[in-house]
Amino acid sequence: MSPNDNAAAPKPAPSSPQDVADVSPLLRLEHVSKAFPVRSSSLFKRDHEFVHAVDDVSLEIRPGETLGLVGETGCGKSTLARCIARLYDLTNGSVTFDGKDISKLSRRGMRPLRRQIQMIFQDPYGSLNPRRRVGSIIGDPFVIHGIGSHRDRKKKVQDLMELVGLNPEHYNRFPAEFSGGQRQRIGTARALALRPRMVVCDEPVSALDVSIQAQIINLLKDLQDDFGLTYIFISHDLSVVRHVSDRIAVMYLGRIVEVAPASEIFENSRHPYTRALLSALPVADPDEADRRERILLVGDIPSPTNPPTGCRFHTRCPKARADCVKTDPELGRAFDDGAEHLTACLHPLALDEDMSLSRPQIEDSEILMAPTPEPETSTGGTP
Amino acid sequence: MALLEVRDLQVSFDTPDGVVRAVRGLSFDVERGTTLAIVGESGSGKSVATQTITGLTRGAEISGSAVFDGTELLGADLQALRKVRGAKIGMIFQDPLSSLHPYYTVGWQIVEMIQAHDRSTSKAAARKRAAHLLSLVGIPRAESRIDDFPHQFSGGMRQRVMIAMAMALNPTLLIADEPTTALDVTVQAQVLGVMRTLQEEFGTAIILITHDLGVVAEMSDEVVVMYAGVVMEHASRRTLFYRQHHPYTEGLLASLPARTKPGERLTPIAGVPPSLIRLPQGCPFAPRCRYAFDKCLTETPPLATVYEDAGHQSACWLSADESVRETQRTDSYAEEASA
Repeated sequence: MSPNDNAAAPKPAPSSPQDVADVSPLLRLEHVSKAFPVRSSSLFKRDHEFVHAVDDVSLEIRPGETLGLVGETGCGKSTLARCIARLYDLTNGSVTFDGKDISKLSRRGMRPLRRQIQMIFQDPYGSLNPRRRVGSIIGDPFVIHGIGSHRDRKKKVQDLMELVGLNPEHYNRFPAEFSGGQRQRIGTARALALRPRMVVCDEPVSALDVSIQAQIINLLKDLQDDFGLTYIFISHDLSVVRHVSDRIAVMYLGRIVEVAPASEIFENSRHPYTRALLSALPVADPDEADRRERILLVGDIPSPTNPPTGCRFHTRCPKARADCVKTDPELGRAFDDGAEHLTACLHPLALDEDMSLSRPQIEDSEILMAPTPEPETSTGGTP
Repeated sequence: MALLEVRDLQVSFDTPDGVVRAVRGLSFDVERGTTLAIVGESGSGKSVATQTITGLTRGAEISGSAVFDGTELLGADLQALRKVRGAKIGMIFQDPLSSLHPYYTVGWQIVEMIQAHDRSTSKAAARKRAAHLLSLVGIPRAESRIDDFPHQFSGGMRQRVMIAMAMALNPTLLIADEPTTALDVTVQAQVLGVMRTLQEEFGTAIILITHDLGVVAEMSDEVVVMYAGVVMEHASRRTLFYRQHHPYTEGLLASLPARTKPGERLTPIAGVPPSLIRLPQGCPFAPRCRYAFDKCLTETPPLATVYEDAGHQSACWLSADESVRETQRTDSYAEEASA
């Protein structure tokens, strides 16, 4: 199989800020917002409350790069992915793909673009119809887009199966006959059928065991090299994201709080949330684990229905100050960071700053409300 | 004597497809106040083993022994088991939402749990204790949240409620089956911190079942690595990470993205785990092992002491000597497995 011509974009090396300006982005998000209505609390009121899953996100993705998108449950990373693939309509903002605004296209108008933007989903069990044969699942894109004759299609599907490391003879098997890792290969084959230029991978390896996870990550990397694919790689697992990404964007409560080249995020993070997220990551190295000073975040992510004022992280931030409650920080350069490294924080962290020494200087902080566990005294000893 | 002594535990299930041999001869000890981590991938038998010990695998064919604090648990009648479960062995599971009853407040559930085991405790005292437990595991405003229902808590908070409930009667052993797998990393760090604090405070022994080697590195004293129902390697934490013997352990560690430079190819283990209905002859890992040689395919290696370290056992025919290891290695089987 030879790579499709229009998909074989040369792999750029967006390593220094000078290069960045030269490469025009494949995808540009401008002020993208997505809000979901939830039932209003009053029976007769017509006005809805909204969950602001994604709020005012602007990003650029360059051809051939992998952009990692990390954040915790409910931060809006999957919603953003679905907005990019236009599985959701935007509430606000625009998505420009290859110079064309695709955010207002109709279903019909969107169809040619679906060939260029594909998705791989997390759950290799839920994303395949259990009653259909694998060959027909992978061949669906050809049928939908009317590509090739029946016989052609079978050949194409078998080529795809071979490409992703499945046995082409298993064309007539059902999804249940495959293991989790193999099912993720099926999903990958389906996503690649139309030779997309961009693939949005939403937690593609999260449901897999670690030895199988490595197989799939290698496969995705090989396919990227062969076909010049651009990936948006979503995961809550920072070690996976670091491994595959050129750049990483960290999301919190619908916003991007920091975006930078992968190594910068890990070695020189500026946003307190990024630092806390990294510090919580368990490391498979006993000495390192014992040595590490952990920054424990207190409390839970606030409700996106009614996000905190100002900086959305201020309720849990050890560095919160009075201005954090009032001013909503914008993404910008902190200290002498390059143009590639943007942080949305009023009090960004210096390189060697020890965040565990900081205490919030505001009243409305989860940290100050948390109980401090004390030995039992009042209930008369343990039974 | 160890707090829990499990010897030659065998568990199998009769299914329409054949007999699934989930656990095949598992032995380990848990000492008081320590943490034993059981690591393994899906289907390795790690959960089935501990569920069997606590009498939760009904309908299974079970043999072997599990002596907890002088009492044999396998084959014990329900009355005897009830006295131990909850009171002396606390349990936390992966999914805190389905482990809590949606219809009752969390306070009610903890109070019920306390009173079921200790009738002499008054309702008021049990309630006071429940509130104390909730604040102990770090739930803010525990006094008022005690009357909330499970759905009013977030995932991390629910898992804290589960821990509070498991710790309610101050058990000597806590079995935590993938306690943080469904949680975000920052919440995971909080929950693991709570478990660590409670262990220090009450001297509770913990069996931590997980697939996450990062969690193992942070929490365990001893580690058991399981694969296809058997123990592959048993070692102390540092030995396992820095001086592992078994190729499976080596393969698991090598698969981790954090162990490879960003952008470089990862080193997965070729192939997939075997079916527990039709197990391969010899070592169950041999078809995926890069070091496998003839003997591995015919004879099952016993769990034996390696590196002259009494606390370190590995079920592998490979010599501990690196140089001999290389000559024993033949690539033919590994190639077959990756095909």
